[in-house]
Amino acid sequence: MSRSVFALGRHAFLLLLCLFAVAPLLWALGTAFKPQTEVYTNRGLLPHDPTLQNFIYVLGQTKFGHWFWNTILIATATTVLSLAIAILAGYALSRYRFWGWGIYGNTLLLVQMFPGVMLAIPLFLIFTKLALVDTLWSLLITYMTFALAFSVWMLKGYFDGIPREIEEAALIDGASRMGVLWRIVLPLSGPGISTVAVFAFLLAWNEFFFAYIFLVSDKNYTLQMGLYTFINQFFTRWEYLMTASVLTTLPVLIFFFAMQRYLTRGLIAGATKG
Amino acid sequence: MAKSTRLAQGVSLSAEKQEKADADWRRQVRSHLIYNKLAYYLITPSIVMIVLIYFYPMLNGIWQSMHYFSRVQPWAYRFTGLENYLTALQTHDFWVALRTSAIWTLGGVLASYLLGLAAALLLNGSFRGRGIYRSVLLLPWVVPPVVAGTSWMWMYADQDGIINITLRQLGIISKPIYWLSVPHLAMLAVIIVHVWRSFPFMMITVLAALSGISDDIYEAGRIDGASNWQLLRYITFPLIFPISVTATVLSSIWTFNDFGTIFVLTGGGPAGATTTLIIQSYKEAFQRYNVGYGTSLAVIAMILMMGIGVVYLRLQARERDI
Repeated sequence: MSRSVFALGRHAFLLLLCLFAVAPLLWALGTAFKPQTEVYTNRGLLPHDPTLQNFIYVLGQTKFGHWFWNTILIATATTVLSLAIAILAGYALSRYRFWGWGIYGNTLLLVQMFPGVMLAIPLFLIFTKLALVDTLWSLLITYMTFALAFSVWMLKGYFDGIPREIEEAALIDGASRMGVLWRIVLPLSGPGISTVAVFAFLLAWNEFFFAYIFLVSDKNYTLQMGLYTFINQFFTRWEYLMTASVLTTLPVLIFFFAMQRYLTRGLIAGATKG
Repeated sequence: MAKSTRLAQGVSLSAEKQEKADADWRRQVRSHLIYNKLAYYLITPSIVMIVLIYFYPMLNGIWQSMHYFSRVQPWAYRFTGLENYLTALQTHDFWVALRTSAIWTLGGVLASYLLGLAAALLLNGSFRGRGIYRSVLLLPWVVPPVVAGTSWMWMYADQDGIINITLRQLGIISKPIYWLSVPHLAMLAVIIVHVWRSFPFMMITVLAALSGISDDIYEAGRIDGASNWQLLRYITFPLIFPISVTATVLSSIWTFNDFGTIFVLTGGGPAGATTTLIIQSYKEAFQRYNVGYGTSLAVIAMILMMGIGVVYLRLQARERDI
């Protein structure tokens, strides 16, 4: 008896929490498919007369498509470059005890705690001098370094899990350390590397503050920055704002569902010495 | 005479020893370098990037914070030492922003921890639908902060937002609640959005700790006649305590440093009610062009965070020792 009451209570609480978790997203999704006339009259979640008109407008009449492309470029470049550097550093952190090992490792954790604004003000001045403000390069360099800080620790954790014996055998057979890293360690750490890649990609995709500081002209905007300017532009056109929001979130959600199992494990590892 | 000879001998003896120790040390250095040479090459690119993007700007910022530096009067640029910091400590707005930061951080972290803890405790174990609940509850965590802002803005909208519509249909209110334009409500509203985005992290962290507790311990407790509440109180809570501390400390740092959630929803308003230290620093440097003063606020924020960061590293080190 008390057991079934508990089960019922559990489902009730979890359902309520799920409602809290998805309500803003569903409300946005519903609005994105409503024609303008329905937005203020139909208070239901589902549109009576679903339309793709909002999507056609946002993709065709605004710079949204252009921003989408900018963001894909930035996020991909951030992922590839930060991974390349982080793999090297993570491998060194996992297999060697060099001088400053502890300082280096702790520094990677501590820099993640710097307030963004502390870096943004001087970086803005520096990038202004270098004529990098209002270019995607400024964002790429910044995001890449942010991604590095947590990627190195995550990758170290994965490399730790690969038995050294395999590498030692290859080294005795005359392979070089780099050869071992490239041909043995990397192929064995596929899931780890793809998890780190998704985290780096998400960081670049979702980042708003530095884009807001560094970018000036709308042809250089990333999605987050563009979406932010839509708030004022479409203040009375919620259906357009929600359509853009849905489109901005879609790629992230696809990644999320494809990689969920790995992501939850990596979530904790990047911020702790795991 | 005799004394000086002994002294001289002593010197030469220790010099000899010293030389031997030096040689040993040099040999050790050489073998260390030969063995670890590759490691230094491997970490070099990351060190270069971290120095360029984190340390150089940080030092540059600390230097600028010791200047009178206004972008509208560049000719007035001069070294002022700690004046900006003293100004901040004597300014009412600074203390208000610090208090807002404290409320925002404590409120956001505490509420998301409690919600995450409750969700994790209920999700622990195996029952039908567990996987679906878990996936759905994780969703807010990947949603971009700006989208969290826009979609909640639409939820909170005065006349046509779903929250006001629902409350009115339920007969709880007769006039719409102006969620984002009344100071106290605005604070509550931004904290709710933050909790929405950050409770999944707490949930998944606690869940990971829970799944590491062996069933045997509960079994033993049950045999000894412990009630469910006692099992929770004396087995579960102590065992998830360390990871809870780690997660809340980390989350406090992220929350304190957060810019996007508040900025998108309220821009720090109404009437400065949601202006945290981070937002104030941004406003000083970029909207009022007081770069020097704005930077000094950012440095204060950084010092506070580094304090918490060192506590965090201590905790990590202790956990490793156990």
